[in-house]
Amino acid sequence: MTSPAAHLSAVQVPKWAFAVALLGLLVTYLVLQENGLALGASSELLHEFFHDGRHALGVPCH
Amino acid sequence: MTTTYRSLALRGVAAGGISGLAAGLVGLLLVEIPIRAALAVEESRQHTGGGEHSHEEALVSRPLQLVGGVLAPVIVGLAIGLVFATAYAMANRWFVDRTPFSRSLSLGVAVFGAAALLPFLKYPPNPPAVGDPDTVDFRTVLYLGVIAAGLVIVYGASRLAARLQHLAAPVRTTAVLLAVVAATAIVLLVFPASPDAIPADMPTAVLWQFRLSSLAETATMYVGLGLVFGLLVDPAVRKLKTTV
Repeated sequence: MTSPAAHLSAVQVPKWAFAVALLGLLVTYLVLQENGLALGASSELLHEFFHDGRHALGVPCH
Repeated sequence: MTTTYRSLALRGVAAGGISGLAAGLVGLLLVEIPIRAALAVEESRQHTGGGEHSHEEALVSRPLQLVGGVLAPVIVGLAIGLVFATAYAMANRWFVDRTPFSRSLSLGVAVFGAAALLPFLKYPPNPPAVGDPDTVDFRTVLYLGVIAAGLVIVYGASRLAARLQHLAAPVRTTAVLLAVVAATAIVLLVFPASPDAIPADMPTAVLWQFRLSSLAETATMYVGLGLVFGLLVDPAVRKLKTTV
């Protein structure tokens, strides 16, 4: 058996962890939500490449 | 047991990559079938001169879109895995008396409920050939709003459970579940319905085959993430390996 309490208190989350997590969300946004809001016209290629993936993951699409 | 954030983050990325690849294969084997049928509907529309909007200008070829269909959940899996590991590292209220594996799996199931099942219930995903380009921004805001509300419910549930620590475990579980059901019902009622109608030429069978297989893909992604991350972080797994 493991002792979860000891396991928990041992984890120190550094401040840069939030920046890393934010980067993760940004990547998710670029793959799934990029409808031209952030990258403009150049996003069309990205949008079409990930088109099946977007639909399959349940993201709204035109 | 010294666990650093770095080791958790790396395991999160690994678990996300594995579950993302599994989800991508579900997409390739299951979701592609109704997507193909939906694209056929879209194509027949162009022959009859219906909508002027077309995906078929071949900016990206179909085989490449299949690659993108697998790559999308892999990349999203890697990124979400990182976020998941951060949430896991900070979740010092989440099922504290359970093993790391059980904590990770239950967190994965909760995230699936908030980020996939809840938007599925309110705004069921649609295949290509469904969806009005004019409302996509509004629908995206609604979709992200429902996910945010779902994550707030999960966070609130874990806070409530910590608050009700003085109650007997079965009573506490019942109280938290009732609160989650009530909050979910409120979210489903308060958010407006999707502005789009399903076009009459989209067969219901294709629509629902797409929706259910899409749910299978997101379930693979999020529950798989909790499962694989749990296997990677629980010391009991490694112990078994050395004693057997």
